[in-house]
Amino acid sequence: MKGLRSLYIQVGIGLVLFILFAVLINNLSINLIRTNLNFSFKWLYRPASFALAEHPLPYSPSDSYAWALFIGWLNSLKVIFISLIISTLIGFITGIARTGRNPLLKIIAASYITLIRQTPLLLQLMFWYFVGFLSIKGTLIFPNERILVLSNQGIKIFGDINLTAEYSSLVIGLTVFTGAYIAEVVRGGINSVPRGQWEAFRSVGLNENSGVLKIIIPQALPAILPGLTSQYLNLAKNSTLAIAVGYADIYAISDTIINQTGRAIEGFILLLLSFLFLNLIISLMMDFFNEIITKYQKV
Amino acid sequence: MINPIVSANELVKTYSKGLIALNNISMVVNKKEVLVVMGPSGSGKSTLIRTFNGLESFDSGELEVVGITIGTDPEDRKVREIRKRVGMVFQQFNLFPHLSILENITLAPIQVQRKNRIEAEDHAMELLSQMGIEKQAKKYPIQLSGGEQQRVAIARSLAVNPELLLFDEPTSALDPERVNEVLDAMRKLAQDGMTMVVVTHEVSFAKEVADRVVFMDSGKIIETSSPNVFFNNAKEERSRKFLNQIIK
Amino acid sequence: MAILLMKKINKLINNVKRTMFTSSLDTFISLFITSILFVCTVKLSKWFFLKANWTVVEENIPLFLFGVFPADQRWRPSLWLIILISLVVLTLFTPSWSFFRKLLPFAWIAVIPIGIALLAGGIGLSPVASRYWGGLTLTIFLMMSSLFLAFPFGIILAFGRQSKLQLIKYFCSIYIETLRAIPLISILFFGQLLIPLFLPVEIEINRVLRSIIAFTLFVSAYIAEDIRGGLQAIPKSQIEAAKSLGFNTFQITRFILLPQVLQIALPALTNQAVGLLQNTSLMSILGLVELLGISRSLLANPKFIGQYMEVYVWLAAIYWFICTIMALVAQNIERKTTLVKLI
Repeated sequence: MKGLRSLYIQVGIGLVLFILFAVLINNLSINLIRTNLNFSFKWLYRPASFALAEHPLPYSPSDSYAWALFIGWLNSLKVIFISLIISTLIGFITGIARTGRNPLLKIIAASYITLIRQTPLLLQLMFWYFVGFLSIKGTLIFPNERILVLSNQGIKIFGDINLTAEYSSLVIGLTVFTGAYIAEVVRGGINSVPRGQWEAFRSVGLNENSGVLKIIIPQALPAILPGLTSQYLNLAKNSTLAIAVGYADIYAISDTIINQTGRAIEGFILLLLSFLFLNLIISLMMDFFNEIITKYQKV
Repeated sequence: MINPIVSANELVKTYSKGLIALNNISMVVNKKEVLVVMGPSGSGKSTLIRTFNGLESFDSGELEVVGITIGTDPEDRKVREIRKRVGMVFQQFNLFPHLSILENITLAPIQVQRKNRIEAEDHAMELLSQMGIEKQAKKYPIQLSGGEQQRVAIARSLAVNPELLLFDEPTSALDPERVNEVLDAMRKLAQDGMTMVVVTHEVSFAKEVADRVVFMDSGKIIETSSPNVFFNNAKEERSRKFLNQIIK
Repeated sequence: MAILLMKKINKLINNVKRTMFTSSLDTFISLFITSILFVCTVKLSKWFFLKANWTVVEENIPLFLFGVFPADQRWRPSLWLIILISLVVLTLFTPSWSFFRKLLPFAWIAVIPIGIALLAGGIGLSPVASRYWGGLTLTIFLMMSSLFLAFPFGIILAFGRQSKLQLIKYFCSIYIETLRAIPLISILFFGQLLIPLFLPVEIEINRVLRSIIAFTLFVSAYIAEDIRGGLQAIPKSQIEAAKSLGFNTFQITRFILLPQVLQIALPALTNQAVGLLQNTSLMSILGLVELLGISRSLLANPKFIGQYMEVYVWLAAIYWFICTIMALVAQNIERKTTLVKLI
């Protein structure tokens, strides 16, 4: 009796949703016919005919749209994984400093976190690009030409690794931004460890630094991981702001392609799929870490 | 002959792990009666009274509460009709933390029974002074002691003028020195002729107030006697064993 | 007196010694940071007071506030901003017992239609097309109206995801997970492109409305998850207690669950609101001249070319200030409306 009623409700709601979608799709197809764009992916094989400043694999404007999108994917991964590693380092250092005993470090960490978290990422990226790189006059050398050279062309490390200004400012901006958020996650994790653990490591004669590293952090890790995962996912999504500094990531290239071909629906589907895939990779990676940690702690 | 308020007929309930909570329970609760249910933990006594207002379903059997008959898959409408006429007091009080004491009590009369606010508040204040806590009306649950919270919970269930009140271990979560203030309130209710089913371990309360004592073990009713018989000369071996354990 | 002072100074030095110079590593770090801080402070204040050319900010205050809103009509966005500021002040300073406080939520909701009326005009005011809206006014308008729409939508999605009806549950889950998987910029971009495609040819909606729809779709998915977190934090016994008083499902949701959920989820919801305010800046890439957008076009003006630092510092200060105010208001609401936190 009850089951039947809920079935009726579901069928009713299903019908409403179906009609809603039908109307939307109908409008869409009318609009597509009007603009002579039938839904298809054949255009992916046509030549892209735009140049890309950065491409980890060989690329020329005569290559296909599909290849251009793939290059964009690689460019995105290049940003995401480097930023992921550096921001984790920054986040842990800041988070530990924030909960530590040194008042100077505490104040600096706290002001870094509030400044970064209370201003838009886009503004920060523009700052790093336009103020941080493009307004450098001449070259800045630390400490000699063999190690690190900064100029408005980007960063040169060890004399032969060249990073463009676009790439560098994007990585710096994302890292500094995500680092502040990770710091808060780390702080939350450290605060979740019972106070008695501090007294315990002090009473066995460990000093503060090694006590925090060897006793507190391992216990805080299970509480930190979920927050860390969502920060990594955010980092991946935020990397699409690359377009603001002119870096050709997956989103920037999709944007260009859609503006050239008018294929908005297909472009949207491709972008959606690539992000679902990216999220999957990050989630799998974090599950893997989680497994290692729980295994390690059980032993 | 007056119809009983609750009559259960061969109720059976099994949990998914094969644990039997109710094993062929048949019983009645008469009007103006105070029935005390006793038994070791896990004997099914909480499950039993929770079926009386539809918080637990059962797998087979039939149940009639305040003249409404429900089966194994009852309609929402019928269950809600029962709940409107049967009050329940929980072990953990379960007051609504975001509402003041007064609002806790008046919410159901205003929303469910569609009483007007002034009438509901007057009634609530009356109930609170019956419980001796009218001064706390504007406070929030968190500011009250456990004993006071439980008395508010009793007032809340009385506010809808129930025909039957169910108590699920109302004093088990209280500090020992707070137990009596709640039991006193319940004694008063019993004197006023309220029909009550009380799951409790409080022997002195049962001796003094109960009309009948039901003893349950592993989902079965082992014995139903007057308190005089049950506490002094229990019929069943298992009842005597249980009483030996709790009276020391 | 002198002895007391000496004692205090001694205590301070001891404190500093204990916390900053316990080991040689700590000493090194402390000295290193102090020197870096010193150099940075000197350099920054030199820039701030001597080198920076603040005329770019001083000359363009109306532009930052209102964008290219017609100059003779600027009193309208100004009035709206003043109403907002007074509401913030009222929220922060009226005591919790005052009768006035009960009216505040309605005032906050009413601010949005008032804003539309003042900005768009029409009723006795000369109409101003949405492409002339801009600056801080547009930033705040985008944030508030999207939040206002996303809030009920998010609540519905959260309850839908908990529903016993499988169809609703899966629909809500798929919606939430999809929108949380893709970057905001793409939702905004496709919102601009696709929303017109899904509508009949004769209906046209402007850029501002399109971006509000896109923001709403995006934020509601996040709000839904925050609300769901709050729902899971409420003990089941609350529902049992409500059921045994005879409440139906709707009454339980309305009187028992929702008020508690909102209190529990308030900090998370505040973060969403602050995030949304910052994210409105993305519209500067997609053709709206909100606060960041108007600054970008200002920096393209040959007169102010290269003055990035001044403008960005000024913008950061504004965003920082508004985010802080929002956090303060949220804390205030949290403190004044609830005792549940004490548990």
